[in-house]
Amino acid sequence: MCEMRASERRKNLFAGEKPRQKTKRRPFRRDSGRAVPAGPIQLDPFQQLAINFLAEGHNVLVAAPTGTGKTLIAERLIGQVLDGGRGIVYTSPIKALSNQKYRDFTGMFGVEKVGLITGDVSVNERAPLLVMTTEIFRNWCFANPEMLDGMTHVIFDELHYLDDRERGTAWEESIIFAPPHIRIVGLSATVPNVRELASWIAEVRGRPVKVIEERCRAVPLELGWITPESDVLDEGGAREYIRQRLERRRGRWAALPEGGDEALACD
Amino acid sequence: MAQTGGNPSCSEVINAIQNYLPALYFTFSRGKTELLADELSREWDFLYQREKARVREIIKETEDTHPGLFGPRRGKLKQILTQGIAYHHAGLSPALKDLVERLYEMRLIYVLFCTETFAVGVNFPAASTVFDTCRKWDGREFRGLLNREFFQMAGRAGRRGFDPVGRVYVRIDHRFPDQAGFYSEEEIEPVRGRLVISPNTVLSLLYWKTDEEINRLLDQNLAVYQNNREGRKIKEDLAGLEEKLAALEGVFCPQVDTPACYMMRSKLKKELRSLARKNKRGRPGMRERREEIRELLKTAQKKCHHRPCTEARRKQTDLAERKSRLERRMRVLGSHARDYERDFNRVWDLLEDMSYVEGRKLLPRGVFALHLHVQEILVTELVFNGLIRDMPPALVAAILAGVDYVPGRDDSVEPGPYSLREVETLRKSLLRSGVPENFCVWSPLPGPLASAWYEGASFEELLSMTNLQEGDIFSIIRREIDLLRQIERAAGDDTGLRRQIENIRLRLDRDEIAIPGI
Repeated sequence: MCEMRASERRKNLFAGEKPRQKTKRRPFRRDSGRAVPAGPIQLDPFQQLAINFLAEGHNVLVAAPTGTGKTLIAERLIGQVLDGGRGIVYTSPIKALSNQKYRDFTGMFGVEKVGLITGDVSVNERAPLLVMTTEIFRNWCFANPEMLDGMTHVIFDELHYLDDRERGTAWEESIIFAPPHIRIVGLSATVPNVRELASWIAEVRGRPVKVIEERCRAVPLELGWITPESDVLDEGGAREYIRQRLERRRGRWAALPEGGDEALACD
Repeated sequence: MAQTGGNPSCSEVINAIQNYLPALYFTFSRGKTELLADELSREWDFLYQREKARVREIIKETEDTHPGLFGPRRGKLKQILTQGIAYHHAGLSPALKDLVERLYEMRLIYVLFCTETFAVGVNFPAASTVFDTCRKWDGREFRGLLNREFFQMAGRAGRRGFDPVGRVYVRIDHRFPDQAGFYSEEEIEPVRGRLVISPNTVLSLLYWKTDEEINRLLDQNLAVYQNNREGRKIKEDLAGLEEKLAALEGVFCPQVDTPACYMMRSKLKKELRSLARKNKRGRPGMRERREEIRELLKTAQKKCHHRPCTEARRKQTDLAERKSRLERRMRVLGSHARDYERDFNRVWDLLEDMSYVEGRKLLPRGVFALHLHVQEILVTELVFNGLIRDMPPALVAAILAGVDYVPGRDDSVEPGPYSLREVETLRKSLLRSGVPENFCVWSPLPGPLASAWYEGASFEELLSMTNLQEGDIFSIIRREIDLLRQIERAAGDDTGLRRQIENIRLRLDRDEIAIPGI
């Protein structure tokens, strides 16, 4: 299929010619337009465990891969707290995400129950469920902790942002200075030192922290590498391919002192 | 094979994985997402007629509520959406990003070219994810993705209850094959503490917290905790090493390190050989040393199995090396132990020099800055040096838009009617008086956009003034609104200033810049 050389194709492009294809390519589709089924109602064991710990009034750290349903834990907790007539704070790392969560929660718990406070937006500040950026929560811990009197928990979504060079400070100051009666709930992607984080939080908060780690993905991942020839290789194959390619290139450069690049491109 | 300089075009990549769509195709530049989407759209079409009609319908509905949705720059996106192809990056307006996200969730997009931001937060699962490259610019340097970053994105592959596995593909570039990354979930990087002491942190601590609480932050933050832990671990390891070293001492016989010992003799012989070399032979004292060694070697060698001794000696050197490595690390940790106290005192001294505080007491500037969370010193100085109060509101909008803004290399905005030279002068004098650069970040670049928006320009007019993208303009003005709210709070009883700032904020927070749906 390589009759058309790179140089020729470039010429065509310059002439402003479009590819001569009349009809566009279509994939073979097995699952045409079926909607993704909603997540299972049945709780996974790690979710149930987290919910039990929370019900017992513990600080809880959950580390699990994306898509395993950490959010469900948060939603259950929020439901319980609101049912009990208390308040709860939900913080997320980015404004767009806070806005999104606000919309989700109003759909779930009702508009009057949810407030949103980011640097540039503030809606229903006295609501029992407050969606905030972590920076705002941090500011409240300093300036008006009394606003948090009726709140039982703060949920930190994406807690691994602690490691963010620009913004990690807001998470640290929040954890250290949140009023003592507030329970901490951290939701994090998989991190190897989640137990270390938990023991740090336990030390600064003066209360134990329960750790829940889920290492298994809901759907396991399979990694593949795509070569310049469009072949899909597994890890071993890819490492070997790259090794050979580098070796060949070294050989080529030695053999072709000039114009080697052009020759390589048409290999 | 249709190829671009030896690489498969993204058409070919998609061809190879066409059984596993929808795919999220990650790349780390906005331009590249658009380029690839355009390229794919020339060859592929993923939607049936009725789906195309549905897409057109949804676009129409969205355009009705957001006139000028695609604006002058996104015509191509509108066209490729009907082929089931799209791109998504921070340069898009929020309304467009939202449209793309909705279409994706409705399974009307089969290949979405996107940047990292698509993988933060809201979960948009796909059948597969593709990495066009594994290197990104992180604001400081080009570097390979961390395992944590890679899996944050890769993990979007695999829809629960739908795909048996999530497929992740890394492209091997024909020119830079060694840049293709290999990642493992076993090697995800640990989270480290990153506390930074800002002027606001110091003011907040001084104003609201007790000495005991201040020390809690300085002595118990995550970085200190992790260093202490590491320190304790090293101490344990060192004690273990000492024990092993002591045990090894017992292996040697009393003659060790005397000329009768095999080990000592081989060492001496080696020295003798080295002294015999030409370059050393002539040096003063060498001849005497050789005589001395020869004399020592005349002693009879002890008859023994020297193997256990040499083994033990080798182990000893190994352990000693490990020990000194640990001790070095221990010294590094020790030298950083008081970092936070030092940083805190440094900022406190600066605030004292600039009359923000007097001891623990906050002065008017300090009380003002207490409510600011970006560039608190610069903004306070702007206000206290009369560059804000009673100035024309469009000028104030222009000045404040530039706070904390770092322009990209190729960003350009047509200059506005206002001169911002006074801000530059103030900034320079602050830097001269010892305020660190990172406490005075400001750029005149976005100013004209903010003042034009304040004066009622349309979003399209703003776009015609600059090569910045819709999303950038949006975030410049949203960030300014955030800052204006902080200044309003800081103004407190100063109703004049508060009204002035509020007026600017309300006029900025409109139309395309307003947050949709809230």
